[in-house]
Amino acid sequence: MSVEAQQGIATPRIPAGLGGLLPALILIGLFFVVPVLALLLRSVTDPAPGLQNYAALLGDGTYARVFFNTFLVAAVVTIVTVLVAFPVAWMLAIMPPVLASILFGIIILSMWTNLLTRTYAWMVLLQRTGVINRALMGAGIIDQPLPLINNLTGVTIGMVYIMLPFMILPLVGTLRAIDPMTLRAAALCGASPLAAFRRILLPLSLPGIAAGGLMVFVMSLGYFVTPALLGGTSNMMLAEMIAQMIQSLLNWGLGSAAAFILLVVTMALYALQLRLVGARRTTGGA
Amino acid sequence: MTQPFLSIRKLRKAFGAFTAVHDVTLDIPKGEFLTFLGPSGSGKSTTLYAIAGFQDPTSGDVLLQDKSLLSVPSHKRNIGMVFQRYTLFPHLSVAENVAFPLRVRRRPEAEVKRKVADMLALVRLENFAERLPAALSGGQQQRVALARALAYDPPILLMDEPLSALDKKLREEIQAEIRRIHRETGVTILYVTHDQEEALHLSDRIALFRDGRIEQIGTGEDLYLRPTTDFVAGFIGNSNFLAAEHLETVGGASTIRLADGALVSGINANGSFAPGQKTRLMIRPEAFRLERSPNNAELSVEIVDVAFYGERRRIVARTSAGQEIDIRPTSAALAAQDVASSHRPVFFDPGAAFLFPA
Repeated sequence: MSVEAQQGIATPRIPAGLGGLLPALILIGLFFVVPVLALLLRSVTDPAPGLQNYAALLGDGTYARVFFNTFLVAAVVTIVTVLVAFPVAWMLAIMPPVLASILFGIIILSMWTNLLTRTYAWMVLLQRTGVINRALMGAGIIDQPLPLINNLTGVTIGMVYIMLPFMILPLVGTLRAIDPMTLRAAALCGASPLAAFRRILLPLSLPGIAAGGLMVFVMSLGYFVTPALLGGTSNMMLAEMIAQMIQSLLNWGLGSAAAFILLVVTMALYALQLRLVGARRTTGGA
Repeated sequence: MTQPFLSIRKLRKAFGAFTAVHDVTLDIPKGEFLTFLGPSGSGKSTTLYAIAGFQDPTSGDVLLQDKSLLSVPSHKRNIGMVFQRYTLFPHLSVAENVAFPLRVRRRPEAEVKRKVADMLALVRLENFAERLPAALSGGQQQRVALARALAYDPPILLMDEPLSALDKKLREEIQAEIRRIHRETGVTILYVTHDQEEALHLSDRIALFRDGRIEQIGTGEDLYLRPTTDFVAGFIGNSNFLAAEHLETVGGASTIRLADGALVSGINANGSFAPGQKTRLMIRPEAFRLERSPNNAELSVEIVDVAFYGERRRIVARTSAGQEIDIRPTSAALAAQDVASSHRPVFFDPGAAFLFPA
């Protein structure tokens, strides 16, 4: 290779400075940074300057309950999603590629189906006189309809269903990277299937569980439609509360403050994950 | 006769219509280093996997000290194994990888520590205990895998082409390690490879597999010097096959006619041949001599090429029937210019030549 050509690779052709990045920066600034700042501004100025909105949210027992409930639902949904997604992801990771891609297609297809449609479908299934209760009663398994809707159970079922693909996809990636021979080696070393899972498969799939889990948790924190339709009034979530504050009470300041608190919590979780993944990388490369 | 340590009884494995292993029967005494050698798809790995418990045989049995292993799941067979690919646990340090089999057996901490130290000393990786596998070379990883497989003193160690991912120099280095470890531990080793040199170098005995059957089993010398079939002769070492017509066999010694019309007597016959039957005569490249000796047969050839290979020269020659043969005299046996002349006779001991059906 000629010297000139080598230099051509070494020195980038883009001129120094950020000139070339300007359009992208304007776009991000205008549509992402400015709205967030406006939100923050509103939360400390509406109806009057000061932190009274935050004080109200964090000091009031009713709001605290909504925050607690939001985190509870997000946590329960995340845990159940991990438990349901893991076997599915493992199956997809080890099954023949053709079959796996068909199943993948079905899972993706469910993601593309309208969210409202899917949630209403769950209402039909879960209500007192719904398909599930009638089938169980018809089979003589239960006498009274199970309370499957307008409570935490309903929200969890509906949201787990919607969140599953977001958990399965990163998990399959992580599981596919694990050499099945590693598990055979563990078996010959004397590890029972349970021990091999606990000591080998689970630790190795943690990055995928963490990535999918964080995504599910963060999405669940801000979810609106499903909790609103399948949940009860006693366990309202933050997004519903924000909607109520703004739509019914026209209290933009309080709504903005609640949204901003949600944003800060989300970012803190993201930072935590970056830190955990970063720590893994440094020890992994030592 | 004492009971064999490990016994494979009429082991058969079929995948649908394809039979990978045909009724393999084999007895392995304690402490033996036995190699399954053969081309890929010959059934050697399938046999090993049946012993490991990764594949259920269609029929037959595997007995360890007279007890069947087949109903025992892999994790209770107490067998050590080193795999072709690196199968160290990537999230555990070298020491924890070696400790793993002991930890799942819930051995006391003091014993685990002592055993890990012993094993790392055995494979000479004492200074790498805290490293993660990714920070080791391929050769080091396989040594850790060896330490892990031996940590719980398994009666049998299975090795499935453990050196195939390594380069030649490293391979030879670890072969020496494996020999030393076999000597020091006395563990019974079943080793799978497609590399005949590796098999000859390492094993007490070699079972040569072909199409799911054992073609011949014996020491490396048996297979090299006394092959029973042309497949064995062709697979182990280098060999020349000359077209020949069988004339008669008296007391195990055959007389044949080569393509150029020369008669040769005193050939080792493998099996019986009819007079006039077309056969092939196998002669090892190093069995050819450039000087006449008593009782040697003579073959006139045309020298095509001479190459220097260090301890030996490699001569490519063509017989008068037009067949190319490979001759490997020691370099000291001649000066290059001596053989550069185009036509000359070469000689071989008929007792070192073998007759096979064509």
